[in-house]
Amino acid sequence: MNNFELTSSYYVIFKNQECIQSSLPDGVSYRDHHLVFQNKKPIEIQTIFVLNQDVEFSIEYTFEKNTDVSIIETKILEDHAIFNKKMNLKEQAIVHIFNENSSISNDTTQCHEEVYLQRDAVCQCGYAELSDSSIKGEYLYYLDGENADVKVRMAILSREKENKYFKILIQHNQPHTYGQMDNYGVVKDQGHLVIDGIGTITKGQHGSASHQTNKIMVFDQDCIASANPYLFIDDFDVKASHAAGVGKMDEEHLYYLQSRGLTKKQAMQLITYGYLKPVIEVIDNEMLKERFETVLSKVGA
Amino acid sequence: MSTLLIKDLHVSVGEKEILKGINLEMKTGEIHAIMGPNGNGKSTLLSAIMGHPKYTVTSGSIMLDEQNVLNMSVDERSRAGLFLGMQYPQEIPGVTNSDFLKAAMNARLEKPISLFKFIRTLDKNIEELNMDENLAHRYLNEGFSGGEKKRNEILQMKLLKPQFALLDEIDSGLDVDALRVVSEAINSMRSDDFACVMVSHYERMFELVKPTHVHVLVNGQIVMSGGYELVEKIDQQGYEWIKELGIEMKEEEEKRPIILESCGKKESLKNE
Repeated sequence: MNNFELTSSYYVIFKNQECIQSSLPDGVSYRDHHLVFQNKKPIEIQTIFVLNQDVEFSIEYTFEKNTDVSIIETKILEDHAIFNKKMNLKEQAIVHIFNENSSISNDTTQCHEEVYLQRDAVCQCGYAELSDSSIKGEYLYYLDGENADVKVRMAILSREKENKYFKILIQHNQPHTYGQMDNYGVVKDQGHLVIDGIGTITKGQHGSASHQTNKIMVFDQDCIASANPYLFIDDFDVKASHAAGVGKMDEEHLYYLQSRGLTKKQAMQLITYGYLKPVIEVIDNEMLKERFETVLSKVGA
Repeated sequence: MSTLLIKDLHVSVGEKEILKGINLEMKTGEIHAIMGPNGNGKSTLLSAIMGHPKYTVTSGSIMLDEQNVLNMSVDERSRAGLFLGMQYPQEIPGVTNSDFLKAAMNARLEKPISLFKFIRTLDKNIEELNMDENLAHRYLNEGFSGGEKKRNEILQMKLLKPQFALLDEIDSGLDVDALRVVSEAINSMRSDDFACVMVSHYERMFELVKPTHVHVLVNGQIVMSGGYELVEKIDQQGYEWIKELGIEMKEEEEKRPIILESCGKKESLKNE
């Protein structure tokens, strides 16, 4: 079963431990679970990971100095599969990743990501966690060089009996580093969702900024949702903020759209789409927008 | 020709009865003005016709030709030809005007409108209403000024072409130029297939869009109906003369003893 679409001219497809297909541009190489980017010009590449039941797989990406890379990443995990990823962004590397989870599983899958940013590196990451599966995800970002800048956006949907847990950490290990996360979730039916957003500024990292927003919209009475912001600040000269909330869809918004002829289902879909949409703005790609809209159509169902 | 017929309508919010037996008949081709002091039920009437969940109809009926409006959901009412231009339109983040307007137009079409036709229709109306050309890409009413929000309501009315448009203080927040643009838009829709009910406090609005019927709503009831001369009389004399006719008027704010710091203290003690 192919639960992905190839739309970029460059791609690499993994099934379990094997790289089964690839088309890599100049300056990009793969060897022993390690992708290395040394491209001189900006590139867009698709990475696809298919893991069967109980498989644990690890991959490492290294973005050399001054590289500029956009990645569209698709994960398709079966029950108990574990996906580990490590990314190293060298000085002034610019990386945009749209990360789409297309797993279908009855039992929990796990994702563990660690991202290390050197001086002046920029990473923007959008996670579309709308899959029909339960997941435990940990996404950890370490700002290890001055002026390193990371922005994380998540769009999460948990419905039926799915159980989703996410921990997102941005840790500032150098002065003048910038971290921002915006995690938005929707919970339906008997869905379960916990988001832990953690901003850590260690001692001596003056001039750093750590911002986060965690919001969850619940649709039904049996939903369980929790949005927990944490800020651990060990320096005085920093900027930090957090916002968190769990609530229902605004009745007045629904009424307004319905008063223009949209059915309740259409109105809910439009509002949810608007609410989760910022995640696709990480990469400018029409195909992503269409796919995202299609996947979200299950919200009103 | 269509008729919207309201008979002995009683509406409550919670325990409190706001409308106490409204009777009103409107036909397409007519423009009705509803006037009355604040807090007497004008907005409640329009919202109840549209079906806002906050308002409970306790008795009476609303019929659109043969259809029982009270049995319809809000979206069914809209698709049946009712439109409410709201006093405080909602701001909906993330939903672009263009996605919203397209969805609303498609909701009443058998075959979805082509993108080309949609953009052409939208652009033409945006220009006519003298609105921001980036409007399509902006989020629905988010960050709009009061005047922009009202013009956006009129834009929706023009695109959705209702039979009965209910406009709740559509002129509030509009400057002179915007008021002219909005009233021209309403006038351009006047036809045998279109009726409009306008709630406004100002004669200026009714000067620009001349109503065929004028009603005065006081304390949950229509106490007087007539023609344009009523607008003029209210503009000159206010509502005081209605009281003199023996009609009880509801004051919007209830008077309560003041409880403030030191200055108010004496006042509040007096009331204890």
